[in-house]
Amino acid sequence: MRPLTPRRIAGICLALGAVLFVVVVFSLQVGAYPIAVSDVALTLVRGAIGHWNSIPPSDRLIVFGLRLPRIALGILVGAALSVSGASFQALLRNPLADPYVLGVSSGAALGAILALAWLPHTAWAMQGLAFLGALATIAAVYFLGRRKGQLDSTTLLLAGIITASFLSAIIMFLMTTVSGRDLRGMAFWLMGDLATPPAISLGFLFVILLIAIGAIYTTSSDLNLILTGEQEAHHLGVNIPRVKLVVYVSASLLTGLAVSVSGAIGYVGLLIPHVMRMLFGSDYRVLIPASAIGGAIAVALADTLARTIVAPTELPVGAMTAAIGAPVFIYLLRRRFA
Amino acid sequence: MTREVIDETGRHVALPLEVRRIVTLAPNLTEIIYALGAQNRLVGVSNYSDYPPDAKSKPRIGMPMNPNLEAIVAARPDIVLVAAVNRYETADELARLGIAVYGTDPHTVEGTLASIEHIGDAIGASTQAESVVANLRQRLGALKSKLAGVPPARVLFVVWQDPLTSLGAHTFIADALRFADARSVVEAKQDWPQISLEEVVRLNPDYLVFASGHFGDANSRAQRLAELRSEAGWRELDAVREGHVAVISDEVDLPAPGLIDAIEQLARQLHPNAFAQTPQPRASARQSPAFAAGHLHRTLSRNSFVEATACAR
Amino acid sequence: MSTPGMAASDAGHDMAAGWMQNPVRLLVEQASYAYSASDRDAPDFTLGPVTFSARQREIVGIVGPNASGKSTLLRLLSGEIKGLSGRVELDGTPPGQLPLRERAQRIALVHQESTLLFPLRVWEYVLQGRYPYGRRLRFESPADCLLAENALAQVGAKALLDRRMNQLSGGEGQRVILARALAQQPLLLLLDEPTRSLDIGGKVELMRRLRRLAEENRYTVVVVTHELNLAAEFFDSIVLLQRGKCLASGKPADVYRRELLEQAFETALDVETNASGRPRVTLRGGADAQATETNPDAPKESGSR
Repeated sequence: MRPLTPRRIAGICLALGAVLFVVVVFSLQVGAYPIAVSDVALTLVRGAIGHWNSIPPSDRLIVFGLRLPRIALGILVGAALSVSGASFQALLRNPLADPYVLGVSSGAALGAILALAWLPHTAWAMQGLAFLGALATIAAVYFLGRRKGQLDSTTLLLAGIITASFLSAIIMFLMTTVSGRDLRGMAFWLMGDLATPPAISLGFLFVILLIAIGAIYTTSSDLNLILTGEQEAHHLGVNIPRVKLVVYVSASLLTGLAVSVSGAIGYVGLLIPHVMRMLFGSDYRVLIPASAIGGAIAVALADTLARTIVAPTELPVGAMTAAIGAPVFIYLLRRRFA
Repeated sequence: MTREVIDETGRHVALPLEVRRIVTLAPNLTEIIYALGAQNRLVGVSNYSDYPPDAKSKPRIGMPMNPNLEAIVAARPDIVLVAAVNRYETADELARLGIAVYGTDPHTVEGTLASIEHIGDAIGASTQAESVVANLRQRLGALKSKLAGVPPARVLFVVWQDPLTSLGAHTFIADALRFADARSVVEAKQDWPQISLEEVVRLNPDYLVFASGHFGDANSRAQRLAELRSEAGWRELDAVREGHVAVISDEVDLPAPGLIDAIEQLARQLHPNAFAQTPQPRASARQSPAFAAGHLHRTLSRNSFVEATACAR
Repeated sequence: MSTPGMAASDAGHDMAAGWMQNPVRLLVEQASYAYSASDRDAPDFTLGPVTFSARQREIVGIVGPNASGKSTLLRLLSGEIKGLSGRVELDGTPPGQLPLRERAQRIALVHQESTLLFPLRVWEYVLQGRYPYGRRLRFESPADCLLAENALAQVGAKALLDRRMNQLSGGEGQRVILARALAQQPLLLLLDEPTRSLDIGGKVELMRRLRRLAEENRYTVVVVTHELNLAAEFFDSIVLLQRGKCLASGKPADVYRRELLEQAFETALDVETNASGRPRVTLRGGADAQATETNPDAPKESGSR
């Protein structure tokens, strides 16, 4: 018997963090314009201490203007999607749940396409309206997903799927009526794309990320119990309605955040929690942080591969996660998520 | 030292006085640069920039829709030319990184000629631009006089065969058709209307026109005609029975000098009598790969959007 | 006490009582409950009034035909639902009024089987019984681990410590579920038809175990069961329900009377006495007997065998 201790969790996070660090360093130096690791380090150090002028302009532009923001965005999105996926798997008691199963991404997609139709060349429009669409969907599915006043897993799942289908129908209608030229951006949005920087500061987004993940983390013991049965958890003292509300809102917010800035990147939210379970067990006190870092690694790596494998052509990161994710999914399926 | 110009999308662009390094993000722009004789200043071109053949040797910076920003930055351009196929996000990103982005967006044949002049001004090749445009105008003028008095041909321009898609009156191609003394039989408000074969039968066009990336193959027209003659519905059309099928270069949708070639090809095929005396110019053995046709198809591929939406749950 | 930390001493109840006295712990007095699917006046189902009580180390069996309200009564005792009238008190406090965690520290409901989504190890599962103690996001202390191990030992499942829950047999799984309830260190242990899927050997073993646990850990145990005879043999008191009404409550010998049982179960039954002095219920007249008039649905047999 080896009960979980904060030390063990810290150790796992440190190990995963080290992997993330390696991935970040790797990502910073590869690209159409390769920069040696030492130069990268030098550039980062100079940037950190403010000696901007001593960095060659191309290096500065590429490292700080292009690669670092993109990698940071990938980390943000990867962490958000993985934690959201793990949370929904517990909330809905369904191992196939992913961040998009409750319709949030469809709502965001609708927002995005409306932005393309009504405010075509406005910088913040697509991301802003996508986020609003996500929020609206979160609220709608919440009210549809209740039974006897509190969130019920099956009802929630059905409400989410129906809402997603309904929104998809509206999106399809808009696609046929909005002019073809304006819709080009939509294809990238739907495939997942980290090239466009977020409209709000990345730092602010990270703060929201940490708050949402933190809120979910406080319920991780509760989630462990809920996974053995809701009735059982209730009789062990878990405040089920409260836990469900906190998890639903926080996880949906994470999805909305990720999807607004990067489009719908698939497979990450579904698979990373399962991989982490295989490595570290099903205890959510370790699964939440492990999924967050694991997701960050996955998306950052996938994006780096996507932009370098067939350079100068850039593949959308969603294509990469699908290409790697589908075989992993099949493998997990055969092992039945054990 | 910089000077400020306003590009065709209304954006204010700060250009250096001497533009030494040019990057183009669309094949038609590459073609224009070559026509202006400025190719030795070209330091980066988009994928699919295969005409003229020398362009194949230029460094690639990625697909027009999703170019590799790093590669562009690494090329240290003084100006980046973008066209309608490029996304606004790309232009915004480059501008944010402090790179001068010049946008072109012609909607008509005249607009294309004006674009060539604007680009010439922007990169400091105004004189060459003037002579190129003058030459193109002269060819169009010659065409016009040859076709004076000839009644316009009623054509169905087939953008895509299945689903059968033609073009609306305000498209680029519709404008090009007019210069070849042709009118589209389809009247629609949308840019790419889908029509049924029944409708085509009712409209009964004189000619069917196809655009092909393999124009230049001697057999392309014969092949197309043979295919149509074997298909139900199509083979009943007057145009097919009489062999009135025209195949022209897919440059008809590209704002570049090759557009004029395409218009001339069309005019010859639609009004052969007017050209009885004039010898055919050598068919430029251009095998422009799928880009332009793909460009059309991408604009239209609603189906792929629909599928992608269904997957993006 | 041989096992450290067990029994009610942690909860602080009964310290003053000591082991000499044995006051009433569970008190149910004229408790009733009504359930209606809609807000119409006539309720679909009424339970009660029910009256009985139990002390430490006592086992109460709730018996009766199907849909007689046995599970509803259990839910009343667990505090899951609130009664309409009367009172239910555990050491003087109505369970429904306790905050959730405190309630879980005093009352443990043993479920029949667990439907785990992801495979847990047995010790992880049993450790979850410690959730009601400590902060919400907590990590288990060595004391918790010891308690969990003891709980498993008490159900004879210590060897299963490192096994995965989905690898256990039905009987093993039930013991582990029971162990988790024990890890809660409750005062009141509630079980809903725990012998349903066990063979006769398993049923007897469970009854013996409940008896032993009630003794050693001073639980008050309430068991809903269909096993009339085992209940009579092992339990201290019986509550007999029929269609929501409490027909009788008290010692098995007092409750198992032929008229009451036949009324409750609408079958011809006989009551005999065991060597132990406990009642035993059998079929009256054997397998060939005709159905009694009290069973209106029985087919009329033409002619006799």
